[in-house]
Amino acid sequence: MNRDLIISTVFRIISYLAFFVVIAIFATTIIDGMRHFSLDFFIKPPLDGMSSGGIFPAILGSLYILGLTLLIAIPIGLMTGIYLSEYGRNSKLAELILTAITSLAGVPSVVYGLFGLALFSIAFGFRTSILSGSLTLAIMTLPVISSAVQEALSSIPRDIRESAYALGANKTEVIFRVLIPYAKLRILTAILIGGGRAIGETAPVLLTGAIFYSTSMPSSVFDPTMTMPTHIYYITMAYGENAQWMAKGTISVLMIFVLMLYSIAFALRKRMSKIK
Amino acid sequence: MVETTNETVIEVKDFSGYYGQKVGVKDINVGFEKNKITAIIGPSGCGKSTLLRSINRMNDEIPIYKTQGKILFEGQDVYSKDIHLTHFRKKVGMVFQRPTPFPMSIYDNITFGPKLHGIKKKTDLDEIVEKSLRQASLFDEVKDDLKKSAWGLSGGQQQRLCIARALAVDPEVILLDEPTSALDPIATKHIENLVEELVTTYTIIIVTHNLAQAVRISDYMVYMFQGDLVEYGQTSSIVKQPADPRTEEYLTGKVS
Repeated sequence: MNRDLIISTVFRIISYLAFFVVIAIFATTIIDGMRHFSLDFFIKPPLDGMSSGGIFPAILGSLYILGLTLLIAIPIGLMTGIYLSEYGRNSKLAELILTAITSLAGVPSVVYGLFGLALFSIAFGFRTSILSGSLTLAIMTLPVISSAVQEALSSIPRDIRESAYALGANKTEVIFRVLIPYAKLRILTAILIGGGRAIGETAPVLLTGAIFYSTSMPSSVFDPTMTMPTHIYYITMAYGENAQWMAKGTISVLMIFVLMLYSIAFALRKRMSKIK
Repeated sequence: MVETTNETVIEVKDFSGYYGQKVGVKDINVGFEKNKITAIIGPSGCGKSTLLRSINRMNDEIPIYKTQGKILFEGQDVYSKDIHLTHFRKKVGMVFQRPTPFPMSIYDNITFGPKLHGIKKKTDLDEIVEKSLRQASLFDEVKDDLKKSAWGLSGGQQQRLCIARALAVDPEVILLDEPTSALDPIATKHIENLVEELVTTYTIIIVTHNLAQAVRISDYMVYMFQGDLVEYGQTSSIVKQPADPRTEEYLTGKVS
């Protein structure tokens, strides 16, 4: 009786199961929804009570929000990560910030939504808008980016920094000309994964930036917008049978976006392991 | 091979370095001569790297590291407030244990230093790249791949690239911190030959674990033990007849 063999077989089967679940989610949602794809689906707004037309405003809205989210989260995330790794090392304050950031990653998304609603929509007066939604999602994405930057920079060997110092570089030059380029693939991977999560978030955007229906495009960041996840939510919650096809099609588009972002992230990760 | 020029480039005077309460090196007095190779040897933890790293203030980044005494470079104390650290470090190149190519092309690795110091003209930079790579005897191997990533080179080539990068800022002294410990014997031989060529132009201080290497290439030798400088002199005479019993124990392999 070979116990090792039995145990390893059990473990293998379980891990296949996990793999199968992932594949099943992607395959069924994407393939099922793709039946509804047509040119109109991508270039037209929803028509006739969501029973015909397309989801162009939702796709565009999601991209607007994703873009603005990253535009806000990347510089703040970078600066926070750089501070934690390069300036605040061994300081109590940096430790506190790191703990706070790590805890941020565990906050439920609806809490971010309510926070964003209270702060950006109401207190700052941005109302329900692309700006409020993006700011809220940026706060959610921040921990992913800043802790990735911090980890990527901290893991760079000491010799690399010292080589640059020995050539006469000052701290700023070392950080921006050597360390950031050194960590760039890892940082990019984190940005893509953070973006992949942000584009699929429903609750925070529902509360801060989304409207359920619009045929006109937002004219500025102070306008609300349709987004893909909230569109799916509205249709499944509030519409009848004849609109459900649109939810399926939207899920498919959303999943393709997420899959693309993650694929690039994994490709980068693979390239990274090859270089080092 | 050994001829005394009596010109000291770096003079260490009553120098001590502490990591918090722990002694790194204490009461060091030694001069490093121009256009000579001086090897700093001794068992692990004896302070040889600390001494080397104190010369170009590499330990500045370690907050608990504190120093006493002086290290004079061309007569000026490198720890004085008046020294311009960037200008000073330009004159003292350093190469580390493991090769440390930056994540950029071979060309950009070499021009990294010169650009920091304000050299911008393409023709000047091209010239520096070729000259430095030739000096590091790497040019012929990489001349068609200058735009390729430095990470694609072999370990030995990467280390020669790092030497070329250090030479590109036109230093006077080169500090080598166990530069061959991560390399195979052939690449090691290559670096040793290179160091022997470079010493005609530069002053070289090398820390090494490898006693045979120190004997092969150095003109002068510093033996350190537990933070003390035990013995300093011409390599040939130390090897023939060490003055201190502790040096003899090391040379005969009783301590390693």
